[in-house]
Amino acid sequence: MSKRFVTLLILSLVLLSIVPFAVAQDAPAKPKIGFLPGVVDPFYQVMEIGVNEAVADFGLEVVTQYPQTWGPSVQTPILEAMIARGDLDYLITAPTDKEQMIAPLQAALDAGVKIITVDTFLGDGDYVNGPVTFPISYIGSDNIEGGRIAARALAEVLGGKGKVYIQNTNVGVSTTEQRGQGFKEGIAEFPDMELVGEDYNLDDANTSVEQTAAKLQAVPDLAGIFGVNVFSAYGAGNAVKAAGLEGKVQVIAFDATADAIQNLRDGVVTLVIAQKPHDMGYLAVAFAMADWRGVTSIPKHVTTGYAVINAENVDDPEVAKFIYQVPGQ
Amino acid sequence: MEPILSARNIVKRFGGLTAVNQVSLDVYPGEVVGLVGDNAAGKSTLIKCISGVYQPEEGEVYFQGQRVHFARPIDARKAGIETIYQDLALAGNLNVPANIFLGREIKKAYLGGVVHTLDEDTMLRESDKLLKDLEIRFPSLHMQIDKLSGGQRQAVAIARAMYWNARFIIMDEPTNNLGVVEQRKVLELIRRLKAQNVPVILISHTLPDVFAVTDRIVVMHRGRKVTEKRTADTNSEEIVRYMVGALDDTRATA
Amino acid sequence: MAAESQPLAVPAEKSNRQKQVILAVSRLWAWVFLVGLILFFTITVFSTSGGDVNFLTVRNSQNILMAITPVLLMGLGQTFVIIAGGIDLSVGWVMGLASVISALVIADFTNNRGMAETLAIPLGFGVGILSAAIPGFINGLIIAKLSIPPFIVTLGMSFIARGISLLLSGGNVVIGQPPGVRAFGNESLFYLISGEGGGLFFLNRPNVTGEVLQRLDRILPWPVVVAAIVTAVLLFVLHKTQFGRHTYAIGGNREAALRAGVPVDRHVIMLYTLSGITVGFAGVLHTARFNGGSSIAGDPLMLSSIAAVIIGGVSMFGGHGSVAGTVIGALIIAVLTTGLVMLNVLPFYQFVVVGIVVILAVLIDQARDLIIGRIESH
Ligand SMILES: Nc1ncnc2c1ncn2[C@@H]1O[C@H](COP(=O)(O)OP(=O)(O)O)[C@@H](O)[C@H]1O
Ligand SMILES: [Mg+2]
Repeated sequence: MSKRFVTLLILSLVLLSIVPFAVAQDAPAKPKIGFLPGVVDPFYQVMEIGVNEAVADFGLEVVTQYPQTWGPSVQTPILEAMIARGDLDYLITAPTDKEQMIAPLQAALDAGVKIITVDTFLGDGDYVNGPVTFPISYIGSDNIEGGRIAARALAEVLGGKGKVYIQNTNVGVSTTEQRGQGFKEGIAEFPDMELVGEDYNLDDANTSVEQTAAKLQAVPDLAGIFGVNVFSAYGAGNAVKAAGLEGKVQVIAFDATADAIQNLRDGVVTLVIAQKPHDMGYLAVAFAMADWRGVTSIPKHVTTGYAVINAENVDDPEVAKFIYQVPGQ
Repeated sequence: MEPILSARNIVKRFGGLTAVNQVSLDVYPGEVVGLVGDNAAGKSTLIKCISGVYQPEEGEVYFQGQRVHFARPIDARKAGIETIYQDLALAGNLNVPANIFLGREIKKAYLGGVVHTLDEDTMLRESDKLLKDLEIRFPSLHMQIDKLSGGQRQAVAIARAMYWNARFIIMDEPTNNLGVVEQRKVLELIRRLKAQNVPVILISHTLPDVFAVTDRIVVMHRGRKVTEKRTADTNSEEIVRYMVGALDDTRATA
Repeated sequence: MAAESQPLAVPAEKSNRQKQVILAVSRLWAWVFLVGLILFFTITVFSTSGGDVNFLTVRNSQNILMAITPVLLMGLGQTFVIIAGGIDLSVGWVMGLASVISALVIADFTNNRGMAETLAIPLGFGVGILSAAIPGFINGLIIAKLSIPPFIVTLGMSFIARGISLLLSGGNVVIGQPPGVRAFGNESLFYLISGEGGGLFFLNRPNVTGEVLQRLDRILPWPVVVAAIVTAVLLFVLHKTQFGRHTYAIGGNREAALRAGVPVDRHVIMLYTLSGITVGFAGVLHTARFNGGSSIAGDPLMLSSIAAVIIGGVSMFGGHGSVAGTVIGALIIAVLTTGLVMLNVLPFYQFVVVGIVVILAVLIDQARDLIIGRIESH
């Protein structure tokens, strides 16, 4: 062992022994926020913009970390490292699983960090009467309502009649299942509209193309398709294009990513249903600040609603602001 | 007298190539048999058919009067046949004792035999003793085989075959990597085995060695056995002519 | 004794010592690197946060131990497999399969069959581990008996395990676990309430709330205890038993092992089964920790687990490596993740650093052989 190494070792040990005294300071006047989305993607990046704006408006500090893949195995170690900082007062997070993230987030609360969930929730999302009540609030979209909105928007384009079909991703994914469910409910409101099927493409655009092409063959008078997410709509739209049925078969996409908007401009999809991640981010910080100030009537559940984007209004700044776009990207 | 080992009409093919073609070979107790032939004559393939590395397509092997089927090399070793392979068959990442005892490690029992650990001390001691008996010295037995010279590796392979008090020993070009001094030691070793009544098959390209220690010489050419002579009844010149295919007993009688 | 009658070149005393130094460095660099990383993060986290944040805390040490648990367990079986010259790419989804099956069994036996959780949980964990051992066994069987490359067999098994676990779980997380499951995954052997005068130690979780609760640290969470026991057992098996010796021999020279009498096929089957078992442990511990079975539990961790094995010095060509090395490899990755998060650096840099460390590990191995080769040839 070299002398320099030993010196370094001793120096750091000395440093460490000073640490406990250094931390014993008075509590800061403003809360420190942690932001931990579900995964790195444009939806959460827009949410981060909302978080950062609110943080600036309130003069706070924020620590943001993105898991590289979706799932509790990846999100939890990052969560624990953030909590281990010991300086966070609130954590704004999108739990990557409503059941599996309960224990890790409860541990975070035990360590003194209050939780606000955005986009996704714990338990059943009902923090008043549900199985999980410890988070301050859940701010997100109502996916069933989103499905209904998609159905109504499609009905409007189709004049309230025609055969429709759903391109879904995976069985058991709650958000997309709920969108499908809401869509079916919405279609049921129109007696002249008929649902002719639902396929699961496992979140793969190529599979979506194949399945949609097969459907177009089987149902020649198909009028509309609901793609529950970007890939589903993209595949469906491309199958329609390949069959030369653009304009004849309407495609609705969920989530206003840059890809989805490009598909809209290219005429592959007819409508895009946008969630409001920016609002979620801003509101979450505002709620944290309110809680810090002792506000006790914070709503336990806020749904942020949707915007419907089509080829006509896509360039209207009032609508364009709902596109999931990160400046500089 | 009954042969201790008898291979009869062995055939081994690799795809379209018949590496060993209807070869028979008998070895009697206490006998040293030389197996010679040009490169690719099929010598190594033949002895691998005996030692259980290959399963011959045709033919039978008898050992001590019994028909034997060595499905794996360990079966031959268990029957008492040890083989020093031409490629030595050592694990380069293991040290000397680990190689000598590979597959037959000495173990210590704990908890009434529930748990066994390797008895490294005993294996090291035994290896050291064995190599000293063979008058082979190493800088350290802890060295990985990869870090040893060709001669040292050869010594390990020989030592491994010697340790188990084999009833029969096959040596495929054992003096290949050795210097003159060690070559002589190997020949001494073969004589000692003969004195202990342990039969040996010796494959070698060095004809003077073969003539020095063998009782009989079998020559192979292109997969076939072309002759078999008592060492006392022949000379290197004649053997070489068989080796290069100029003489062939099977053709003469056919 | 070395020098006396040695006919073959004996290295000179000096180059011998040089060689020892290089060997030591190449063996110990990962330890040195780990200590360096911890020092680095201790200093940088402290200084960049203006003294608010400490890296080297009791809580963080336990976090890191928890974080390495699944990666380490996946890597342990893999260590054996790679030392023997194979590879197991099925570990990710097989872990998910074990997680799903253990959760299904526990939920079914407690909710539908009225079994006490003290019985149902061990049963579920046992079945979960078994359900990971079986794909491992099949991997080994096909690789050994049909001589299909392990890369292909285990890749195929990965898809099969993925499909089965998704089918069994319907793509959902398997819930309905009795409280003991979550307790096992989240409670610990000891508890510490840190504070003035060193803190208070407890054997059972003290019932505290509020500010005291915030100072309550879990010392040695049960999953860490389980992983430590598995690690200790495998350390013993690899380095002290015939099974371990044969593992190295097969990786060093498969044909030589076969000729010497090592039951190579049987051993290969056992190796992949072992890999399945350690992965099974990771799977059931996921169920416990996250209070539910998830098919995607392991997939995101697979590459990290292989990286940990390589950083730990296991040669992809087989024949070399150790259990301790894999522990260090897993620790280096976990320390990197935690440290960078605490530094508030984007976690994507973690991949860059892990990538560099993986390549460095292999380079150091090769440089060692090169330098030693050069010393010997002089
Ligand atoms: N495993 C194998 N696969 C294919 N061909 C082989 C194999 N082993 C040996 N051969 C071929 O069989 C012939 C005999 O080889 P070998 O028995 O090694 O000869 P020798 O030992 O007399 O030099 C050669 O042509 C060699 O190329
Ligand atoms: Mg040969």
